[in-house]
Amino acid sequence: MPAEDELDPVIHAPVRLRVMVTLATLRDGDDLSFSRLQEVLGLTPGNLITHLRKLEEAGYVTTAKSGGGVTSRTSVSISQQGRKALETYTAVLRQLLDSASTGGASPQ
Amino acid sequence: MQKDQDISAAEAAVIMQDARTRARKELAISAPVVYAAWGLVWLIGYGGMWLSVRGQHPYRAPAGVSIAAAFVLAGFAAAAVLVVAHRATAGIGGRSARDRRIILATWAVGYLILLTVSAAISGSVSTRALAFADFAGPLLLTGLIYILASVLVRNRPALALGSWLVIVSASCGWLAPATMLATCALAGGGAFLLIAVIETRLGAHAS
Repeated sequence: MPAEDELDPVIHAPVRLRVMVTLATLRDGDDLSFSRLQEVLGLTPGNLITHLRKLEEAGYVTTAKSGGGVTSRTSVSISQQGRKALETYTAVLRQLLDSASTGGASPQ
Repeated sequence: MQKDQDISAAEAAVIMQDARTRARKELAISAPVVYAAWGLVWLIGYGGMWLSVRGQHPYRAPAGVSIAAAFVLAGFAAAAVLVVAHRATAGIGGRSARDRRIILATWAVGYLILLTVSAAISGSVSTRALAFADFAGPLLLTGLIYILASVLVRNRPALALGSWLVIVSASCGWLAPATMLATCALAGGGAFLLIAVIETRLGAHAS
């Protein structure tokens, strides 16, 4: 877990940030198919899998496979822990931007 | 493959904003389009029927061509809404998918019941009572479904629209058939168009 005034390094990467924000726009209890998430983000399957694995290891997203053969579907959803982590990330980001605009240290 | 990059807070904020805007655009059904499509159906469809009965003394029924035009218009709107909804919700599963199935089933069953009741009472009740079932009935059902949808998806504009439609359709019970049609067209269709404008503004404000 990052310190309270630090940006979560698991989320603080362009692709993972986009994945988290995209999944967070879904309602609680919703999931998104892997192929649709890939289409919305414009990523290759390999790239998306790599980043999803990191998010899943942190407990921020969950993936589930259903069906088999041609009807096989992999769905991705943000977990409650993931939503909370994104909220915290957003709050820290806002603080950093506020402090930067009021002449504080440059955020990174 | 895109590697982890060191990004500044300002860059992260821009990425978040872009991702949020894109996700809302791609994954949400465009409420203004849906409301505007149905608003035009009610306004033009019922308005056309009203124009065809305006000169009838005594009232008989809307001209067949105006009824057919309303059905064709409703068919086009339904097809357009289904295409928009399908594009936006493709790949989304879970609670939203279940809610959509509930709403669609309620529409189908509700309209089937309405058509059955209308056919059953046709010829055995007054012209005004039949007009209420035929004209205000669909508006009442639509209002109730919007209330149901608003509860499922927690949407205040849908609740306001649904409640308004129920009030308008209930008030039709006191009106003559021609006035009923005009009321459904203006107060019903107008409300849909007004909500379409409100949703557009809310969407612009949110992004």
